[in-house]
Amino acid sequence: MTLSEGARAGTRELEMLDSLLALGGLVLLRDSVEWEGRSLLKALVKKSALCGEQVHILGCEVSEEEFREGFDSDINNRLVYHDFFRDPLNWSKTGEALPGGPLGALRAMCNRTDLGPVTIALDSLSWLLLHLPCTILCQTLHTVSHQDSCPPGDGSPVGKVHVLGLLHEELHGRGPMGALSSLAQTEVTLGGTMGQASARILCRRPRQRPTDQTQWFSILPDFSLDLQEGPSIESQPHSDPHIPPVDPTAHLTFNLHLSKKEREARDNLTLPFQFSSEKQEALLRPRPSQATSHIFYEPDAYDDLDQEDPDDDLDI
Amino acid sequence: MAAVATCGGDAGSAGSAVATASKSNVTSFQRRGPRASGTNDSGPRLVSITGTRPSVRNGQLLVSTGLPALDQLLGGGLAVGTVLLIEEDKYNIYSSLLFKYFLAEGIVNGHTLLVASANEDPANILQELPAPLLDDNCKKEFDEDVYNRKTPESNIKMKIAWRYQLLPKMEIGPVSSSRFGHYYDASKRIPQELIEASKWHGFFLPEKIPSTLKVEPCSLTHGYIKLLQFIQNIIYEEGFDGSNPQKKQKNILRIGIQNLGSPLWGDDICCTENGDSSHSLTKFLYVLRGLLRTSLSVCIITMPTHLIQNKAVIAHITNLSDIVVGLESFIGSERETNPLYKDYHGLIHIRQIPRLNNLVCDESDVKDLGFKLKRKLFTIELYILGLGVNGDKTFFPTTLQSSCKASLKNARAWLFSQT
Repeated sequence: MTLSEGARAGTRELEMLDSLLALGGLVLLRDSVEWEGRSLLKALVKKSALCGEQVHILGCEVSEEEFREGFDSDINNRLVYHDFFRDPLNWSKTGEALPGGPLGALRAMCNRTDLGPVTIALDSLSWLLLHLPCTILCQTLHTVSHQDSCPPGDGSPVGKVHVLGLLHEELHGRGPMGALSSLAQTEVTLGGTMGQASARILCRRPRQRPTDQTQWFSILPDFSLDLQEGPSIESQPHSDPHIPPVDPTAHLTFNLHLSKKEREARDNLTLPFQFSSEKQEALLRPRPSQATSHIFYEPDAYDDLDQEDPDDDLDI
Repeated sequence: MAAVATCGGDAGSAGSAVATASKSNVTSFQRRGPRASGTNDSGPRLVSITGTRPSVRNGQLLVSTGLPALDQLLGGGLAVGTVLLIEEDKYNIYSSLLFKYFLAEGIVNGHTLLVASANEDPANILQELPAPLLDDNCKKEFDEDVYNRKTPESNIKMKIAWRYQLLPKMEIGPVSSSRFGHYYDASKRIPQELIEASKWHGFFLPEKIPSTLKVEPCSLTHGYIKLLQFIQNIIYEEGFDGSNPQKKQKNILRIGIQNLGSPLWGDDICCTENGDSSHSLTKFLYVLRGLLRTSLSVCIITMPTHLIQNKAVIAHITNLSDIVVGLESFIGSERETNPLYKDYHGLIHIRQIPRLNNLVCDESDVKDLGFKLKRKLFTIELYILGLGVNGDKTFFPTTLQSSCKASLKNARAWLFSQT
C-alpha cells in the first residue's frame, strides 16, 4: 500500500468510527449469531483509548483475558476494567468486586467528579437486560449518557460521554429492543452478505430527521477498521429500476388526457358566462322583435279579481 | 364545594362565574352595581379568560392547541378540562413539535404552564419553543410561500365567469387573529423575554426521584404518583380549581407531559406485554382526568404508543383520554419514496373526539389528512390524490375552512373543469 492509499484508507476508517462516536450518548451495537459485534466494540474502544479518553469496561459476558486479547499494552494500561464475569453475585466476598453489581458500577459513573470525556463499554448490554429490570436499566443508561447535557453549577465544560452497548438481537423480544432503540442516539445493526460484513448506521440527532447509511467494512486483527466498497453501493437503497414509479392516472374510467385537437377545440369554446364584445352589444342593443313587453296573465279559478282593490287608487 | 361542582359539571364554561356570583343574590333581576370584586365594568360579570372562547356549538370553553388547522379539526379547539393525547411518530420529531406549539400558545396567551418530562429538562424544552408570528409579518411570509407554489400552474389560466373577474382573489393564506389561535415560525426560537414573563412549573423526573430508590411493587408507578401529587399541588395552590376565591383573574393551567409511558418514567408497558405495572398508566390517566375536570386546566400528553406491546392497553388508553390524535411519519418507511406521498411528511389520524355534555361529537367527514413541515410552518392538509392534466401531480392547497365539504366540492368542480 502506498503512502497516499494508506492515508486515504486511514481517513476513511476514521470517518466511520468518528461518525459513530460523534454524537455522544448511547451507541447500540446490535449483532447476531452470524455477524458478531464484539470486534467492532473493541475497535471503538481502541479508538477512544487512542484519543485519550477515559475508558471503562463493564465485562459481564467474557473473561477479562479474552477481552484484553489483541490490544497493545499501552491500550491495555488505559482501560479500566470492571470484572463481573468471574463472580457476578459476589459470592467469594473478596471485596474486589464493586458493591451493587454492574448497576452499582453504572450508577457510580453517574456521579463522577472528573469531567473529561469518557467512554463506557458495556459487554454486554444483553447480559444486563436479562439480569436487571428493563425500566431501571433504561433510566440508568439515560442518566449516564446525558451527563454532558446537565453541566455542573460552576459552568465548566463537561466532556462527552459515550456509552457503547453490545446487544444480541436474537435474545430479546421486540419490547426491550424498541425501548432501547428509542433511547439510543446511534444504532448500528450488523449484517452482511457473502462473507462481507456491513453496518447499518442510524443516527438520531435531536429534533432532526434521522440519517441512515450502510457501510461495508472488515476488522483487522489489531482491531483497526478497513472500509470497503460492498457488493452493491447502498447509499440509495430505495430506487428499484425494474418497478416504474406509480402513475396515478393509469387505470381510470375517464380520460384525463387531451389530444391537440381536443385542446384547441376546448380553447375555442366560449363559455356561457364569458364576457365578450358580442355579448355586450347584444345586451345593450334593444331587441327589435319586441317593442314593449307583454304580460300574459291567466286568472286561476281561485283568483279573486276584486274591483274594489284599494291599490287602484294609487297614483303611480 | 358546590361552586366547584358547577365548575366541574359545566367543564368550566363561561357562565360558571356568573352562577357562583348569583348564588348570593336574592333574585337574578337585580341591577348590578359596581362590585367590590375589583372589576370596573358595570355590566354583567362575564369572566373572559384570555386565550379562550366559547364553542359555537354548545358553549363549551375552548382553548387553542397552537395550530389553527388542528383546532378546526377538533371542532374549534380543545375544551378546558380535557386531555389531548398524541400518539408519537416513530422518531418523535413531529409530536414534540405539536407539544411545543401547545406550550408556546400558552405563553403567548399568558396561561400558566406545567411541563413534565422524564428525559429532558423542562427549562430546555421551553428554550426551544417556536417564535410567534405577529400580524404584520406573517402575511409577507405566507405570501412568498404561496407564490412559490403557484408558478408552475400559472400557464393554465382559469376562465372565470365575467361577473367574477373583478372580484379580489380569495385569501388562502392563514389570517391571524390575535385573540384565538396564533401562528408560529418553526425555524426561530421564542424570545427570551416572553419565557421570563411567563409563569411556568417544571417537573423533571430524575430530579424528583433519587436513582437509588428501591422500587417497591405498587399499583401505581412511583414516578406517576409524584407527578400526580405535583399537579394536584399546583392546582390547589394557585387556585385553578376555585379554592382561592380572592383570585380576581382566572387563568388556565396548561399541562404538558412528554413521553408518558416510556421506560424512563419507570413504566414497563413498552418493554413487556404483561408486566407488573400494567395498569399503572391507565390508573394515572384516570386520576389525571379527574383532576382536570375539576379545574380550569387542559393537558397534552405525548405517548410512544408504537412501543406498547399490549394492544388492549392502547384501547384502554384511548378510552381514558378525550381527544386522541395519531401521527404517522413517512421517515424510514417505503412511503417516503412513493410519488403519491411525495408532498407530505406524514399522515394525521384523528382517532377520537369527545362527546362533552353532548350526545353527538363534532367529527369531521374528512379522514385523509396529511401533514407537512415546511421551513417555517406546520400545515395540515386534506390529502387528495391530485390528478392533474398532463399527468403531473397537483394537490389542493386549501387550509381547512370551517366547512370541509364545501372545499371538497370546489376541488372536484375545479378538477372536472380542466378536462
